[in-house]
Amino acid sequence: MSSTEILAEIQQVLADLEKISFVAHRDTQSALGAIQPYGDETVLEWVKACKALFEHDRDAGKAFMRGSVAACGASNTVLPWTRQAMRFLAWRGSWKAVDGYMEQLPQAYRSLGFEGEVRWAELGLDWCERHLDSGVAYFRCPVLELEGGHGINGIEDVVLPSVELFGNRRLALGTYLSGAIRVRNLLGIEAVLPWAKRGADILQSGRLRGEAFFKLESEESMALLLENLPGFRIPEHQRLLQLVIYAWFGFNLDLLESKWSPDKGRAFVETDGVALYLPMALPDREEAMLAVLHATGHLKFHSYERRYIDALFRAAGREHPPLDAEQRITWRPLFAAYGDDMIRFQLIFDICEDTRVDEQIGRHIPNYRQRLLRAADAAAIVDGPAAAYFRWARDLLQWTIEGAPADPVFEPLRPLLSNDANIVDAFRIANELYKHTDLPAIALLARDQAFLPGRSPNAARPVYPRRMLDQAEFGTGLEDQEDVVKNQEIKPNPEQKQIPKHAAGEDPDFDIPPEETAGSGGRVGVGIPQPAHVLGYAKGAEYSEKGKPYAEWDYRDNRYKRNWAWVQEKTLTELDANEATRLLAQYAPALQRLKRAIQTQKPIRMAPLRRQFDGDELDLEASITYVVEKRAGMSPQANIYRQRVVQYRDTAVVLLADMSTSIMQACAEGGGKVVDRIRAAMLLFAESMEEVGDPYGLAGFASKYRDNVSYYTIKGFDETLTSHTRAVLGGLTGRLATRMGAAIRHAVASFDRAPSARRLLLILSDGRPADYDDGGDERYLHEDTRMAVKEAGDAGIHVFCITLDAAGSEYLPQIFGAGHYLVLDHINDLPKKLPEIYLRLRK
Amino acid sequence: MKGFLNRLRGVERDIIQMPVEDTAAGPYYEAQGNEIEIFEAAYKKRLPVMLKGPTGCGKTRFLEAMAWRLQRPLVTVSCHEDLTSSDLVGRFLLEGEQTVWQDGPLTRAVKAGAICYLDEIVEARTDSTVIIHPLTDHRRQLPLEKKGQEIEAHEDFMLVISYNPGYQTVLKDLKPSTKQRFIGIDFNYPNEDIERKILRNEVPELAEAQLAPLVAAGRRARTLKDHGLDEATSTRALVYAANMMAAGITPLEACKAALVSPVTDDPELAEALLEIIRAHFS
Ligand SMILES: Nc1ncnc2c1ncn2[C@@H]1O[C@H](COP(=O)(O)OP(=O)(O)O)[C@@H](O)[C@H]1O
Ligand SMILES: [Mg+2]
Repeated sequence: MSSTEILAEIQQVLADLEKISFVAHRDTQSALGAIQPYGDETVLEWVKACKALFEHDRDAGKAFMRGSVAACGASNTVLPWTRQAMRFLAWRGSWKAVDGYMEQLPQAYRSLGFEGEVRWAELGLDWCERHLDSGVAYFRCPVLELEGGHGINGIEDVVLPSVELFGNRRLALGTYLSGAIRVRNLLGIEAVLPWAKRGADILQSGRLRGEAFFKLESEESMALLLENLPGFRIPEHQRLLQLVIYAWFGFNLDLLESKWSPDKGRAFVETDGVALYLPMALPDREEAMLAVLHATGHLKFHSYERRYIDALFRAAGREHPPLDAEQRITWRPLFAAYGDDMIRFQLIFDICEDTRVDEQIGRHIPNYRQRLLRAADAAAIVDGPAAAYFRWARDLLQWTIEGAPADPVFEPLRPLLSNDANIVDAFRIANELYKHTDLPAIALLARDQAFLPGRSPNAARPVYPRRMLDQAEFGTGLEDQEDVVKNQEIKPNPEQKQIPKHAAGEDPDFDIPPEETAGSGGRVGVGIPQPAHVLGYAKGAEYSEKGKPYAEWDYRDNRYKRNWAWVQEKTLTELDANEATRLLAQYAPALQRLKRAIQTQKPIRMAPLRRQFDGDELDLEASITYVVEKRAGMSPQANIYRQRVVQYRDTAVVLLADMSTSIMQACAEGGGKVVDRIRAAMLLFAESMEEVGDPYGLAGFASKYRDNVSYYTIKGFDETLTSHTRAVLGGLTGRLATRMGAAIRHAVASFDRAPSARRLLLILSDGRPADYDDGGDERYLHEDTRMAVKEAGDAGIHVFCITLDAAGSEYLPQIFGAGHYLVLDHINDLPKKLPEIYLRLRK
Repeated sequence: MKGFLNRLRGVERDIIQMPVEDTAAGPYYEAQGNEIEIFEAAYKKRLPVMLKGPTGCGKTRFLEAMAWRLQRPLVTVSCHEDLTSSDLVGRFLLEGEQTVWQDGPLTRAVKAGAICYLDEIVEARTDSTVIIHPLTDHRRQLPLEKKGQEIEAHEDFMLVISYNPGYQTVLKDLKPSTKQRFIGIDFNYPNEDIERKILRNEVPELAEAQLAPLVAAGRRARTLKDHGLDEATSTRALVYAANMMAAGITPLEACKAALVSPVTDDPELAEALLEIIRAHFS
């Protein structure tokens, strides 16, 4: 074709177009200028495409024409994409696909390159062939999102799994795509395939459930995502973090799970002044460590002290905000004065306060600030206003590490490095800086990226104001409390219900007046309070019905109160044989290991009895002594035998379990309640003891007021372990409070029936001794328990306490004596550890 | 001195040895408090002494140093559960057609006027602990039941026992009637300065820059005692770690080998200990 012929042909097509549609002609004309530089032949092919597409589907044609200029600009070509577009002619109603295709085309060229674009279009066209709606979904998905920084491979990885899903299960790409992209963005490209496979299985079990999974709308898909989050997974390292906190700061904190999920932005550790809230995962171990240390540092160094919070609000010229329903302070009013610029101020304030706190932590933990800086140096800085804050905070940190040399920029912050600086100083200095700062304005959305790794927004949650300093000034903070109760007779007092810390909680028994809990006791079924048959019981009845009285030690008068605590022997009537069986099955491997350990220990521990008067073997050493002494003219005793019979064992043990309400709480480590572990532990203990062969007893106790201490003998020394015993253990529940002294005295009495010389009382507890009528005076029952332990010692019975209370080492040494207790801070270990501890003790 | 000691290596020696009279040769002991004065006073009055404290905090070393200071021989008996009273006191032996009596270590110490150290006495059977009773009061006598005799202790004789009030010994605690016969000296891990001095002395090759973090890390590790560690990081363990480091092992590896793996099998606890160590050496 000659060039004139070509030009004529172009004119012809344009004229045809004009005849068909004014708009089509106009749109073609307006794009023409961009196409012309590529030559007449190209123009001809392009206008033909315009016409063909328009004739096929008006909207497809319009989309093509309108998108052409941009496509041309991005690709510097015309024919490749024009030919691709022509392929949409194969499908009826494909205009939506063309529309998406043309819209994404420039971006496809820009981010995928020429070859990448070809592949991208190819994948989409294949989808159109397979299922037009899926093709539409494909082309409508912004290329940037689709590739997610991974280029064309990213697109293939996200899209290809869906081909099979469509083939086997008719899952449309539209249902799958946005979820898949999110999964890839959150968890990385490798996570997409397993996720899709899991989804396919779910899809098989139900269409709706499956689609919800793929759209990430269902619980199960969210859970699956969280479970597979990359990085340092907090739930698996809960105990490690707790130990580290304890090692550095000397106290325990609750580590709770925050409601963070990856699409809510950056993962931070937060605090409410009492507990730390940790996300499911943090990017890496180091950041997790730093974040936990930093947040604990805020608590240790008084960022949330009541008096300072008050002072802050005063400094901000505001009224102390009323506490919320949960007695927490919300920070909002503090920042309200800064209006739209609130985030800028908050960030400056955070940097100031974090500088102060990190300086303090740095004095405490070697290399802490250096590690913080190293993490900051290694972090990728996200562009935008946040970067300025990030760099500033990092340089400031570096300055403090270098020993704060004279520096005009950082000089105003120097007071924060002093030992006596507090959060009010940080606030004051932040306000100064804020006046002159050239840090850019910043929006809430960008804020997350401003923090150095390990740091986080300090006012992220409402806080419970702390009172550490108030207490420090008055001593332990207990003294004034003690003054209140001093000389005030502690007596059973149903009106004045003082709920001790560890007795509070969901307590099914609490509403039953004390009169009714006496008797044969217990409840039938779980959670339904059911007074037992009370026959002829009334207040002031015979002692025999009130149980057995014991003296109680009153430290305030330094004397015993006679017949003060009344212990009633009761039987547990809630049986759960199924639970027992289930637990024994669950712990079968652990039990097996224990038994094997016991057996291997046996030959040593159960050494044949030496120096016996009869037996089946000679005791060589004894025989020689005998012969020698005989020769020496003495008349030695003929105890020269060894006996192999099962020996009379010399240790008897009672395991006494605290059965107060608090054991009904959920385990901090997750996976059920504390009581579940106690049940399992007692079962395993019993089974192991059968193997060991020592005489043993099992018992539990609970109390409500001094005249109502229940003692449940689950198994006596002379009883055998039966399926009934196991069922009782399986049905164990918590109730009421912990009057430990009385229970110890009663347990000591039960040793009268024990056959052995060495006697051990093993107490299993999860908290302090406390009762409803101790008037909130913790010390009262502590002191009484201490005396009870001493009495036991005088009676030749060793008392040893195993506690699940992480704070146990604060009070147990005073009560049981150093070395006579063990804090088990890993409750899931209890079942396995309990028998082990006994074995070590009896060695 | 070294040469002299080397000649003694691998050679059988009698258990009763007078300390070498070389002023430079005394065992190195760093006092933590007034234990030396207390001990000397007790010795002056010939009162028996009980050294109380966790393992590896320097009890044995203290006694070695005291024996040398007081120029008395030291007889050490490590007690174990099969230790009978004959093992301490002595027994008859056959020699040809004759029987001869052989003194046990305690008897020999009583005769020679040595300091007798019963290490970890709670491990011994109760019947063996009773025989020391007459030795611990004004009588200062050792009954030799088998021979139907008793010995008045040499005027310089002194009895010392040690015991570690850890939780493994709850059931084996000494009877109060035994305990109250002794002058008690409480030992604990020394304070930071002293612990550094000890390490500096025990392992002079260790670089000062490694010594301070090692001691600090060890002390920090002790805070986890109640959280699953049966035995806290001892001074002895720190000396071991220092030796490993001086032998060219990296601090982290040395601490892992000397401070972590011997004391726990619990992976989380080991991690926490390592975290402490890492922080100090980072
Ligand atoms: N006060 C001290 N002076 C010198 N060395 C000490 C001291 N305390 C501990 N050590 C070191 O610790 C090691 C263990 O001490 P040792 O006396 O065997 O402990 P224990 O007898 O208490 O178990 C010693 O070998 C020594 O290296
Ligand atoms: Mg902070």
